Amino acid sequence: MRRDISLPIQAISYAVLIAGAVVMILPFVWMTSTACKPSAELNKLPVRWLPDNPVCGDNLDLLYDTSPHFNRYLLNSAFVTLGRLLGQLVTCSLAAYGFARFPFPGRNIIFAMCLGLLMIPFQAILIPEYILIRDLGWIDTFYALIVPGSFSAFALFLLRQAFLQIPIEIEEAAIIDGANPLRVLWHVTLPLSTPALAAFAVITVQAAWNDFLYPLVVSNTPDTRVVTIGIALLQGERRTPFNLLMMGSLLATLPMMVIFMLLQRYFIAGISMGGVKR
Amino acid sequence: MTSTLLKFFGPTPLSRRKALWGMALVAPNVLGLFFFFGVPVLMAFITSFREWNAIKPARYVGFDNFERLATDPKFEQALTNTFKLIGLTVPIEMVLALGIAVLLNQPLRGRNWLRMAYFLPVVTSTVAASVVWTSIFQPRYGILSDLLAPVGLGETKWLVDPGLVLIPVGVVAIWQRLGFDMVLFLAGLQAIPGELYEAALIDGANRWQRFRNVTLPMLSPTTFLVVVLAIINGFQIFDQVYVMTLRTVPGGVGGSATTLTYFLYRRAFTNSEFGYASAVALVLFLLVLGVTVVQLVMQRYWVYYESDEG
Amino acid sequence: MFKMKQTMLVIVLFLVASLLAVPVQAQEGSDPVITPVVCEEPGSLTMWVWDETWAAIIGASIDVWIAEYCPGAEVDLQVQPWGQYWDVLKTNAAGGDLPDVFNMSQDRFFFYADNDAILDLQPYWDMYGVDTTIWGSGLVGPYRWGEAGDLYAAPVNWDTIAMFYNKDMFDAAGLDYPTADWTWDDFAADAAALTDADNDVYGAAVYSEYQSGYPNWIAATGETPVVDAARTDCTLDNEDSIAALNFLKGLYDEGIMPGVSIMGGASADDSFNFWASERVAMVSGGSWKLPQAIDEVTFNWDVVQLPKHPETGRSRSIVHSVGYVASARTANPDLAANLILFLASDEGQMFFAEGGGVAPANPSPAIQQMWLDSFGDAGVNAQAFVDATADSQGVTVFDEVWDVMNTELVVQIFDLDIPVEDAVASVCEAINAELPE
Repeated sequence: MRRDISLPIQAISYAVLIAGAVVMILPFVWMTSTACKPSAELNKLPVRWLPDNPVCGDNLDLLYDTSPHFNRYLLNSAFVTLGRLLGQLVTCSLAAYGFARFPFPGRNIIFAMCLGLLMIPFQAILIPEYILIRDLGWIDTFYALIVPGSFSAFALFLLRQAFLQIPIEIEEAAIIDGANPLRVLWHVTLPLSTPALAAFAVITVQAAWNDFLYPLVVSNTPDTRVVTIGIALLQGERRTPFNLLMMGSLLATLPMMVIFMLLQRYFIAGISMGGVKR
Repeated sequence: MTSTLLKFFGPTPLSRRKALWGMALVAPNVLGLFFFFGVPVLMAFITSFREWNAIKPARYVGFDNFERLATDPKFEQALTNTFKLIGLTVPIEMVLALGIAVLLNQPLRGRNWLRMAYFLPVVTSTVAASVVWTSIFQPRYGILSDLLAPVGLGETKWLVDPGLVLIPVGVVAIWQRLGFDMVLFLAGLQAIPGELYEAALIDGANRWQRFRNVTLPMLSPTTFLVVVLAIINGFQIFDQVYVMTLRTVPGGVGGSATTLTYFLYRRAFTNSEFGYASAVALVLFLLVLGVTVVQLVMQRYWVYYESDEG
Repeated sequence: MFKMKQTMLVIVLFLVASLLAVPVQAQEGSDPVITPVVCEEPGSLTMWVWDETWAAIIGASIDVWIAEYCPGAEVDLQVQPWGQYWDVLKTNAAGGDLPDVFNMSQDRFFFYADNDAILDLQPYWDMYGVDTTIWGSGLVGPYRWGEAGDLYAAPVNWDTIAMFYNKDMFDAAGLDYPTADWTWDDFAADAAALTDADNDVYGAAVYSEYQSGYPNWIAATGETPVVDAARTDCTLDNEDSIAALNFLKGLYDEGIMPGVSIMGGASADDSFNFWASERVAMVSGGSWKLPQAIDEVTFNWDVVQLPKHPETGRSRSIVHSVGYVASARTANPDLAANLILFLASDEGQMFFAEGGGVAPANPSPAIQQMWLDSFGDAGVNAQAFVDATADSQGVTVFDEVWDVMNTELVVQIFDLDIPVEDAVASVCEAINAELPE
C-alpha cells in the first residue's frame, strides 16, 4: 500500500533519519577508510576519516598474504550460515506453529523453558558446551558448527509471535477440511508470514555469520574455521594491524549488507494480506 | 489406564489429535535445544554448587557460592550497574527503534539505503566500534568534546569517570541494538492490514490517532517480542562494556562499568572461579526468568493477538 | 647395557645430524649454546601458539626438527587468536585437553604450575646437559617452580624497555640527545624543555602498562614492582614505590606528561601512538615496537636506555619472556621435551633471529648479533635493548593482579588525580585480596 505523505512530514523524516544514520555509519566509515590506509597512517591522532594515500588493493593483497586461508574462512562461514539458516527454518517454523496453534499438555511450561535458554549468557556455558561437543567427537567438524545452531529459542519466539498475528480463521477453513497441518503451515501460514521470515532470515544469518566464541572453542584448523576467527587471528600479542583487521572485517561485512539489501524488500506494507479475504 | 492417558492429551478426539500434532511439531526444536543447550546449562547449574578452577577436580560446597554472592560488594555493584543500564537503554532503544521503523516504513525515496544504514551497526566489527566510539568520547580530541567545548565540558572524562562511564556504554548498546529492533518492527508493521488504516482515514483520524489506535495495538505482539528480547539482552550486556573500557580500565574504574555478564566472565576466565561464576549465571537466570514471567503474565493487558492462542 | 646402547645411538645420530647441520654451524663460526638431540622415538604432538607470524617462524623450525632430529614425527601446529588464547586454553584445560606443547606467558605461568598442569622440564635439562643459568634470571626466574626451582619452560624470546625519543623535537628545543648515562633529573629537565603546551605537545609519556610503564621506574629504585618475588605482598605501598610514582606524578601535574584520557587509552600502544603522532617527545616502549617504529614513524627518532635513578644509579628494565611449556598430561613427554629443546637451541632460535622483531632468548652472541643485524640499515640504537637486559627485572604478577595494576592504578593517578598514597592503598587492597595468605 502506498500512501502519499505530505512534504513537511517528508522533510522532517529525512532530517531525523539522516542525522541518525550518520551516527550509525561512522564506525563503518572508519572501518572502510582504515582498510585502505597504509600502515604509516594507522595510528595518527586524532582519528582520520579518510586515508591520505589510499592503498586498498595493496592491503587486500597483504591480507591474503598474511592470511592465505581467508577465502576458505569466508566459504566456511557461508556454509555454516546456510546450514543453520535451513536447519532453523525447518525446526523453528514447525515448533513455532506447534506452539502457536496446537494446545498440548505442558505447552506453556515447555515454551517458557525454551525461552529460559536465552537467559543464560553463553560465557557461562562455554566450558560445558565444549565438553559436550568434544564428547560427541565433533571438534573440528562442521557438525559442531551447524547442528547445534540449527535449533533456536529466539527464532522460535519470533515466528510464534508472527503466527499469532495471523487471523486464525484463515487457517481454520483449511484445518476443518481435514488438511494435514504441515500443508496448512506450508501453503497458508508461511506465505502469510513473509516479512517475519525475512526478519528471521536477516537476524539468523547475521548471528550465524558473526558467531565467534562458540566456533572458537570447537574448531582449531583452517578447514573448519569461520571468518570471525580468521579476523581475530590477524591480531598478534604485540601488533594490531588495523588496516588488515578492517579489510578483513569489511570483506566479512559486505555479504551481510548484500543479504540485508535483498531481504529488506520484503518489508513492504500490505503484501501479506492483499489477497486474503477476511 | 488408556483412558486416563487419553484424557491427559485432551477431552475430545479432535483436541487429542491436535495435542499429538503439537508435540510432534515442537519436538525437533525442543529436543535439539534441550540437548545442545539445556544439558550445558544443567552442567553449569551443577557447577554452581561446586568449587572448581577448571583444572583441579571440582569440590561440592553446597550453597557457599550463593552465600558469598549475597555479601560480595562487587556482585552488588554489577547488579546495580546492570539495572541502571537496562533502565537507561531499554526505553530509549524501544522508542527510537519504533520511531525509525515507522519512519522507514513510509514510501520515502532512498528508504532502502537508510534502512541499511541503521542495520549496519549490527554487522560492523566490534573492533571498529571500539576504536571509533572511544575516540568519539575522548576528551579534548574527540568529536563529542568539540560539541561540548563551548559549554565547558570538552575535557569530560566519559570513559574513566565512575559516575559517567555507564552513559557511553549505554549509548553503544543502543547504537548496536537499534538495527536489530528495527528489523523486527519493520516485519511487524507489515502484518497490519492496510484496510484498518483506510477505515481510520474514513473516520477522519489524524496521523497521531492512526498511530495510537491502529499501529500500536496491532503491532503489540511485535512490541512484546522486542521488549522481552531487549530486557533479556540488557541483562546480558557484555560486548559493549568490553568495547568501551578495553582501552582504559577493563570493566571501568573500580568496576564502575561492570555488568553481571562481565562480572561472570571475569570471575570465570580471569579468576578461574567457575563455581562462583556459575552461581552468578544461576542468579542471573532466575532474575531474567522472573522478569520475563511477569511480562508474559502482563501481556494479556496490552498485547493484542489477532487470533487467540490455540 | 640398554642405556649404553641408547647413548651410543644418540651420539651417532647426533653426529649424523650435526653433519647435516653443518651449513648453519659453519656460518656462525662459534660453538652453540644449546645443541639439539635426536629424539628417541617419533610420535605425534599438538602445539599451540598465539600469533600467526610466530607460527610461521616456529613452523619452519619444526620442519627442520622433523627432518634432522626426529624423522617420522608429526606436529599439529595450531594458532589460537591472541585475544582469546587464555580463555581457549582454560576451556581446553577444563576438558582435560591441554595441547602437548604450548606457549606460556610469565604472568600466566603461576596458575597452570600451581595446578600441576605443566610438565617439569628440569629432568630433561639435566639429561640433555643444559645449564639453565645461561638464560638471565629475568627470562627464566618466573618459570621456575617448586622447592628446587626446577625450570618448567624454555624461553622463546626476550623483551626489554627503552626510551624512544623524537630527535627532531630535541633539535628544535636545542637539546643534546640523551645518552645511556642520563639520570631521572636529566630526563625530567629534558621533558620539561620539550613540553610545548600551546601546541599541545608533551615532554614524555612513560607510565602506561606494566611492562612498558611505571614498574620500570619502581624497579630502578631497587624495589620489586607491584608484588614481591614470593608473591605474598603488594609492594606498591612501600616507600620507594611511592617515591617513584610521585616522581612521575610530578611530571603529570606540571603538564609535562599527558593523562590517560588525553592519550585515548591506558595501554602502552596508546602512549606509543601518541608519540608516533608527534604529540609527545619521549615514550617508553618495548623492543617489540622497533619494527613498527621503523616502518611507520615519519620523523627522526632513536632509542636510549631508560634514565638512571639518581641515588641507586640503576636503570632497570622490566623484562618478559614467552616460554615453551609441555602439558603435564601429555602422552609423549619425552618427545615434547625433545621438541622444546630443539626450539630453544641455537639452531631452532635462528629462525627468530633472522625474522627480526622478536629478540630470541638463546644467549649465543652469534644469535643476538643476528637479531641486531636484522635492523642493520635502520640506523637505530637497538643495542639499547640488549644493554637493558644486563640489569633487568622479571615479571612477578599473575592474572587478576595484572589488570588491576596495569590500568586501575594508572588511571587513578594519571587521570583522576587521586593522590599516589590513596591510589596505591586501594590497589594494594585489591591485590592482597588475591594473594595467598
